[in-house]
Amino acid sequence: MSEMRTQLVETATALLADGTATIEAFAEAGFGQLLTPEAEGGFGGDWGDAAEVLRLVGFHQPRLDVAALIVGDGQLDCALATTALVGGALQRALELAIDHANTRVQFGKPLGKQQAVQQSLALMAEEVAAVAVAAQAAAKARDAGDAAFEIGCAKLRANRAAGIGGAIAHQVHGAIGFTQDYPLHHYTAKLVEWRSAYGNDAYWAEQVGTFALSLGGAGLWTEITRRSDAL
Amino acid sequence: MQGFAIHAFDPPGDSVALRAEIRAFLAEHQPKGSAASRANCWQVADPEFSRALGKAGWLGFTWPTQYGGHGRHLLERYIVVEELLAAGAPVAAHWIGDRQTGPLILRYGTEEQRERYLPAMARGESFACIGLSEPGAGSDLASVRTSARRTREGWRINGQKVWTSGAHHAHTMLALVRTQEGSERNAGLSQLLVDLDTPGITIRPIIDLAGVHHFNEVFFDDVLVPEGALVGAEGNGWAQVTAELAIERSGPERYLSSHALLVALIDHLGPNADPAARALVGRATADLWTLRQMSMSVTAKLAHGEDPVVEAAIVKDLGNAYEQELPRAVQDAIALDLLDGSELSNVLHLLLLTSPSFSLRGGTKEILRGIAARGLGLR
Repeated sequence: MSEMRTQLVETATALLADGTATIEAFAEAGFGQLLTPEAEGGFGGDWGDAAEVLRLVGFHQPRLDVAALIVGDGQLDCALATTALVGGALQRALELAIDHANTRVQFGKPLGKQQAVQQSLALMAEEVAAVAVAAQAAAKARDAGDAAFEIGCAKLRANRAAGIGGAIAHQVHGAIGFTQDYPLHHYTAKLVEWRSAYGNDAYWAEQVGTFALSLGGAGLWTEITRRSDAL
Repeated sequence: MQGFAIHAFDPPGDSVALRAEIRAFLAEHQPKGSAASRANCWQVADPEFSRALGKAGWLGFTWPTQYGGHGRHLLERYIVVEELLAAGAPVAAHWIGDRQTGPLILRYGTEEQRERYLPAMARGESFACIGLSEPGAGSDLASVRTSARRTREGWRINGQKVWTSGAHHAHTMLALVRTQEGSERNAGLSQLLVDLDTPGITIRPIIDLAGVHHFNEVFFDDVLVPEGALVGAEGNGWAQVTAELAIERSGPERYLSSHALLVALIDHLGPNADPAARALVGRATADLWTLRQMSMSVTAKLAHGEDPVVEAAIVKDLGNAYEQELPRAVQDAIALDLLDGSELSNVLHLLLLTSPSFSLRGGTKEILRGIAARGLGLR
C-alpha cells in the first residue's frame, strides 16, 4: 500500500471506528478533495485509494454517503464507487455470518461445523473475493482514463455478488439476522439498494454485451488484453 | 479469517511485445481446426505442436537457463499461457510437465533430476503426468495406498493409479506413494519420479463419455525405480503435493479452457443480436474479465513466493462455475439444433457433455469450498 493510501485508510478507519461518523466529519477531514490533484490543493489520491476508502465505508457504516463526497455524481464513477461499497458491505456481512456460525450451537455443535453451512459460506467468500478484485481492477483502469468497459464488468459482477452473498448471509443467520436489533440488515439493506443503483444487471449486461459483440469473437480477447497491458 | 489477498500484476518487460510474439508463433504453428477442437484445449494433446513450442523457446519459460529454461518471470509465463489457451491451442502433451512437474523438480528435486528431466521438458520432448488419484483415493487423497518400499536396488512400487490424464503419451509420472509401511492418512507419503517405460508398468485406456481417450489407469507390479527417483524428502509427500495442487489449481486454464465457446457465440450472433442475447454475452464477458483479474492476482501472489492455497481454490471454483454455466446459458438463450453441424452447435454440444468434469478434475467443488471454508476459520 502506498503511503498516501495508508494515511487515508487510517483516517477513514478512525472516523468510522464507533459507527457514529458523520458526512460533515468526512468533509472536514478533506475526503471531498481525495481525487483532486495536489497542485489544485487536493490530496492527489488515485481511484484505488478512493475504492479502498469506500470499501471501508461499506464495511463500517454503509448508510453514510461518502461516495457522493469523493466521486461526485457521474454515472460511471458512481457505479465504480458503488462496486467498492458493495465489496465492503459484503465483507462485513460475511464476517457477521462467520461469527454467528462459529458461536451459534444447534444439534450439539456450532453451525460452522456443518458441511452444508461451510459450503454456503465458502460460496459467499468467493463472491466477496470477486467483488474486491473487480473493484480494485476497475479503479486501476479508471486511473488510466477510459474505464467504461471495466466499470461495467465490475458493477455487473458486484450486482450478482450482492444478490448471492446477501441471501447466504441471511440464510446462515436464520431468524436471528432478521431483527432490527441485529446489525446484519445495515449491510444487506444497502446491498439491496446498490444492486439497482447506477445500472442494474440488465443495464450493464446489455452495455457490456453490445461492446463485446461489436468487437467480434477474437476481437474481444484482443481488446481485454490490450486494455490491461496498457495500464 | 484469511481473505483473498489482492496482488498487483506487474510483469517486467514489454507485455505488448511478448503477447505479439506468442501470437505470431500461434498464427504460424497452431493447427487449423474447428471451434470444437479448440474447446477444452488443455486436454488436447499434439506432441508435434508441443515440440514446436519447445523449439521456439516457449516451454520451461521461467526455469533457469542452465536447465534448458529461459529465465523469464512467472508473470511473463502467464501472458504466454493465457494466449495459448485463449487461442485454443492443443497444449495437453507438455501441459503437466511445464505447469507443475517441472517447477516441482526445480523446487524439491536433486541436481541429477533437474539435469535429467528439465531440459527435455523445455524442448517439448519429454512429457509428464500426475500420479495422485487411485481407485480408493479420489477426493480423499490421503487414502493413497500405492506403496514403494526401499530395497537395496531402489524403490519397489506396487499399486494402481487411475484417471491419469495423458499417461499414454507421457514419459514420466510424478507419483504420490506410501513409502512408510503402516503409515496412515497424510503421513508416510513421498513423491517418486517414475519413468513410464520401466518394466512392470501397465497403462490401460479409459474412454470418456464423449468417446475421447485422455484418462488411463496405470498399474504398478513390482516396479523397480532407482533410489534417486525420490523427489524431495522422504515422508514429505503431502506437503509437496499441497504446494503442487496450488500451482495446478491457480492457472488461467480454470476459466479459459472453453473460451472457444464464447468466441463462437459472439461470431454466431454478430453485432445486431437481440437484447437477450446481448445480455448473455455481457454477463459472460463480465465473468471472464473478473476471473482473469482474480487469476492474475493469484499468479502475482505465487510470483511473490507465497502459496495461495485458498485463493487458488476460490479461482478454480468460480472459474469452473463460469465454464459450466455458460454452455447451459447459451443453450437456454439460442435456439439451436445441437446436431446441425455448425461451429457453435458442435462446440456447445461437446461442452454440454464434458463440462461436468470441470468441477471434478483437480479438486471437486466440494473439496475446494472446504479449503475456502477452512481459510474462513469455520470450526
